[in-house]
Amino acid sequence: MYLNSNLINVLEREDQSIKMVAQKKTKKSIENINSRLALVMKSGKYVLGYKQTLKTLRHGKAKLVIIANNTPPLRKSEIEYYAMLAKTGVHHYNGNNIELGTACGKYFRVCTLSITDPGDSDIIRSMPGEQQGQPAV
Amino acid sequence: MLPQKLIDVLERNATDIEESDDETGEQEYAADTATSTMGKFMKSGKVVLLLSGRFAGRKAIIVKNYDEGTQDKQYGHALVAGIDRYPRKVTKAMGKKKRKDRSKMKSFMKVVNFNHMMPTRYSVDVNLDKASVNKDAFRDPGLKKKARREVKAKFEERYKTGKNRWFFQKLRF
Repeated sequence: MYLNSNLINVLEREDQSIKMVAQKKTKKSIENINSRLALVMKSGKYVLGYKQTLKTLRHGKAKLVIIANNTPPLRKSEIEYYAMLAKTGVHHYNGNNIELGTACGKYFRVCTLSITDPGDSDIIRSMPGEQQGQPAV
Repeated sequence: MLPQKLIDVLERNATDIEESDDETGEQEYAADTATSTMGKFMKSGKVVLLLSGRFAGRKAIIVKNYDEGTQDKQYGHALVAGIDRYPRKVTKAMGKKKRKDRSKMKSFMKVVNFNHMMPTRYSVDVNLDKASVNKDAFRDPGLKKKARREVKAKFEERYKTGKNRWFFQKLRF
C-alpha cells in the first residue's frame, strides 16, 4: 500500500514535469514554425489564399497546408477534407490570419497557405509530427 | 452554392459502413504517393457533389478529368455523369412492378469546373462506354440522348445489385 501511493506520487511528479516540458515546447514551436515559414518564403514555393490552396491540393502539388486559427469552421473542415483526400499534412497555425500574414512577410492577411516546394526548409519533415488533424490514411 | 454544413452532411452520411468502394480508391492513392506526388484525387470513378448550377446537390461520377484544361476551357474541369432524379424508396410491402417503377432514375452528363465540385472519399467503378459518353456528345442532341441513356442503364444496373448504396441516396441538406 505504502509502495503504491509512493509510486503514484512519483508518477504525478513525472506527469507534471512532462506537462511543463510540453508547455515550453509549444512556446518554442511557434517560433520554430515562424522561422521555418520565413525560410520557405525565401527559398521555396508556396501559394497563399484559399482558392489557390484548393487548386494545389486538387493537383496533388501541395506538400503542407497551413490554416490560421480564425478561419471559419466550415472552410477549415473543407480544407482538412481535401487534404485528407490528397494525403497532405495540415498544420493549424497558432495565430490568426493577420499573424500568419506577418509570418509570411506579407502586409495582408493570410488564412490558408499551401507549401508546394519547401526549398531549404525542413518544415515538411518536422511539422507533421507536431500537428493536430493529421489525415487518416 | 450549397448552404452551410456541407461537410457535416458528408461526414454524417459517411457513417455508412457498407461502402467498400473506398478501399480500391485508397489503394490507388497508395501507389500514387509511392511513385509521384501527393494523391491527386480528381480521377475517373470518384464521386463528387455538384455545388452550383441546375444540378446543385446532386452526386456525380467523374468520367474523364482534364486537370490542365483544354484550348477552349483553360481551367481544370471534368466530364461527370450523375443522377438527376434519384430512385425512390422501396419497401418490402411493395410488389414487383411498383419496385421496378420506383427504382428508375434520370441521369445527366455535364462538363463541370473543378471549383464547382466537392470531391468525396467515395468512388464508384462503373465502366461507362467511353465511345458514347464523352465531350463530343454535347455537340449533337441525339448523341447526348444516347449517352444519357447509356449512363442511366449502367446506373440502374448498379443500383439493382445493391452496391454503392450511398451514391444512389439523395444528399439531404
